[in-house]
Amino acid sequence: MEDIDGLTGYWNADNLVGIRNHTAIIGLSPFCSQAVRLISEQVFGTIPMAQMHGRNELGLNLERFNRSMLNVTLNPNVASLLVVGYEPKTTQRFVNEFKLKSKKPIESVVTLEIGGILETVKSGAKKAMDLVINASENKREPLQLGDLTIGVKCGGSDATSGIVSNPVTGRVVDKIIDAGGNVIFSETTEIIGAEHVLAKRAVDESVAEKIIRTAMANEEVARHAGVDLVDINPVPDNIAGGISTIEEKSLGAISKTGTRKITDVIDYAEIPEGRGLYFMDSPSAAHEVLTALAAAGTQLVIFSTGTGNPSGGPGTVPILKITGNPHTASHMKDHIDLDVSKVLLGAMNLDEASEILMGMLGKVVKGRLTRGEVLKTWDFSPIPTGL
Amino acid sequence: MKSNFLILTSTDNVATAISDLKAGEVLIVDGKEIKLRDEIKLGHKFSVKQIKKGDFILKYGEIIGAASYDIYPGEHVHVHNIHSLRGGSSGRH
Repeated sequence: MEDIDGLTGYWNADNLVGIRNHTAIIGLSPFCSQAVRLISEQVFGTIPMAQMHGRNELGLNLERFNRSMLNVTLNPNVASLLVVGYEPKTTQRFVNEFKLKSKKPIESVVTLEIGGILETVKSGAKKAMDLVINASENKREPLQLGDLTIGVKCGGSDATSGIVSNPVTGRVVDKIIDAGGNVIFSETTEIIGAEHVLAKRAVDESVAEKIIRTAMANEEVARHAGVDLVDINPVPDNIAGGISTIEEKSLGAISKTGTRKITDVIDYAEIPEGRGLYFMDSPSAAHEVLTALAAAGTQLVIFSTGTGNPSGGPGTVPILKITGNPHTASHMKDHIDLDVSKVLLGAMNLDEASEILMGMLGKVVKGRLTRGEVLKTWDFSPIPTGL
Repeated sequence: MKSNFLILTSTDNVATAISDLKAGEVLIVDGKEIKLRDEIKLGHKFSVKQIKKGDFILKYGEIIGAASYDIYPGEHVHVHNIHSLRGGSSGRH
């Protein structure tokens, strides 16, 4: 298949390969968001990662916030980084932690030091401009399929997700794992009712237990909150699409993970240390999952959707949207990169559709833009808030 | 997948419509005729067997919930007549 041959990417200073060459601008607190957006608007080639957290966070939230904020900047698709901080202490700490993990170019600007948002924008834009110009000298070089870490996610699921786009995605996952690549799936709520099936695929007994325990803990969170999961998942668009219960949604969802052994369970926004198929404990809302997958180091995410879901995550990672629903393929076409609804009509089988997805993945790796990248459907969200 | 519905595993007691189906339409399931009692939209399920209140609903060869009421062959199977057994919702209608 020619589209999957001759893959290329940008090998960066951390000896990681990105399939994009972005200069990211990250805002460390809510007060940095406007400056981040304005700098990015002015400076070509930048991704604005503005967000609304980072003040008075505590406990698990703080731990997950710190990890996802740092790790998202370590993503291989980020060539260089501008940090926009509000006050010097947290900004310096962030820059120091980044430098411990990465040799990529980094600059920072601190609003309280420089004297307000307008001065932040002016100084930040000059720094971002130099970062972008320097990064533009980076060249694409060959990479192998096994160099990839991809995420798989289903969002806006309907019944076609479980019978078409998820199994098509699962077949591609198997090929990437077999080539020595990494694949990460998540959405803990959406393994509830299917965890026994996944546990059988665990590489050993302790990983099987971790899978079961993670799902049960999630169910327990709902119980403690006095919440009936039925009231929040499946969501109304899932139900309209024919999904009746969380078990049904989960059993359909796990087919996107293919058939290979599950290497380990990782925490929200954690970078896997080995190679293989990983399950990441995370909520299920698309913006939170895509942020955590970017933090985990994915260069690309295959996003299987039934009803269409425009979420794009932090913007540094191309999100390849695939649907098996013919209505969605036309009605929500602005957010769909690949239509495999011919499977439903009997004009194509799942294996043929997976070849086409593999070809599209190859094109996106080599630089074809996804609709989300072009439309800038960005929703960076470094704290998991729900289930 | 030439048919207009799918039964994913032979043990399943529901089928999934892969195009919009009309009430009254007659389908051949396992050599037997089933007349649809409801309109079944693409992606939605209908019963291919008699299901009693409390029986498990099987899709993908796995349990996706339980019947809240008796369900007749050809009936729409969805949130109005089945419920989840997980997430603190057991016994809920």
